Amino acid sequence: MEPLDKLKNDWKKNGGNYPKFSEQEIYAMLHKRSSSIVKWILVISMLEFVFWLVLSFVLRDSSQMQKVSNLHVSYITLPLEIANYVIILFFVTIFYRNYKKIKVTDNARKLMQNILRTKKAVTHYIFAIITYNFIGMMVVFILFFMYDPELIKMVHEFEEKGNVGWFYLLYIGLALIATAIILLVYWFFYRLIYGLLLKRLKRNYDELKKLDF
Amino acid sequence: MDSVMEKSFVQLLQENQNLIHKICRLYTNSEDAHKDLFQEITIQLWKAYPKFRGESKFTTWAYRVGLNTAITLYRKKSRTVNTIEFDNTLHKINQEEYDYEEEEHLKLLYQAVHQLNDIDKALVFMYLEDKDYGEIAETLGISEVNARVKMNRIKGKLKKILNP
Repeated sequence: MEPLDKLKNDWKKNGGNYPKFSEQEIYAMLHKRSSSIVKWILVISMLEFVFWLVLSFVLRDSSQMQKVSNLHVSYITLPLEIANYVIILFFVTIFYRNYKKIKVTDNARKLMQNILRTKKAVTHYIFAIITYNFIGMMVVFILFFMYDPELIKMVHEFEEKGNVGWFYLLYIGLALIATAIILLVYWFFYRLIYGLLLKRLKRNYDELKKLDF
Repeated sequence: MDSVMEKSFVQLLQENQNLIHKICRLYTNSEDAHKDLFQEITIQLWKAYPKFRGESKFTTWAYRVGLNTAITLYRKKSRTVNTIEFDNTLHKINQEEYDYEEEEHLKLLYQAVHQLNDIDKALVFMYLEDKDYGEIAETLGISEVNARVKMNRIKGKLKKILNP
């Protein structure tokens, strides 16, 4: 006899012998909080959206940004700012639409697909924001070089001393460090989600996908 | 959600809770984890209940939600587990017909199933529940042919675990 059929016999014979929960116990369970990964994805994704939104506000009020507005280049900074909100709005919409598609009554593969897609929207969002920030930072650096009287004066001073190369190097170095910090934050969120939360789901999804070559 | 709906749900679930216990039986290794998964499935069923229109049987609907919760949504808490102890407590039933050799073999079988991955367990569960391949395939979102192939592989895997 196949081992599995032997198990089936026992399953049928003893399948009804589990301790039963009373109606009161089930009532109590209904009001407990879910700890499902969908809930966690929602919470963490919201944190991610809020994090970058808050960061953009904080940066806007920073002294550097005040300096940018003093340069009177709103024909460049205004479209950049609008682009920021368009990105956020676009991804929040996509995220919300995908999130609504998650249905526990779908088949397992579709359910997993929808969860992964929901999370992917947030990952793409973070990637878009980082790219945006990087471009934004570059634009700001260039603007400073072109219009900031203090910086222009400094460049001239360095040029006279003959070590303007060092000055540029320092400038680019700082830009790279700032980018590295942002990328580190991105990596942290990415690991948090894919490493801890979705590892098992991803494994199961790959297993199902492997079945349907 | 209103209390009438809540009442009917709790009643239905109380009557059909065996099904959820069986899923927990395959996916957990300790009494604590069993209760934890049972609770999460109950919450997920309750959340989906307003959309349950009685087109399918409550049990058919519930086992799909239950399996999805076990495979996809549930976050295992890290606990130290003791499989053997748990298997013993669950098998202290039908004392008078106790056949120790048989009992030992069944225990090994359950332990072997516990070593399978989550997807394999889902297939085993539906096989034990006498579901046909069409339904197994539909529940997992794979083709019927692949469900059959997979089931045969699982049988082979189990034999290998039992007779290494």
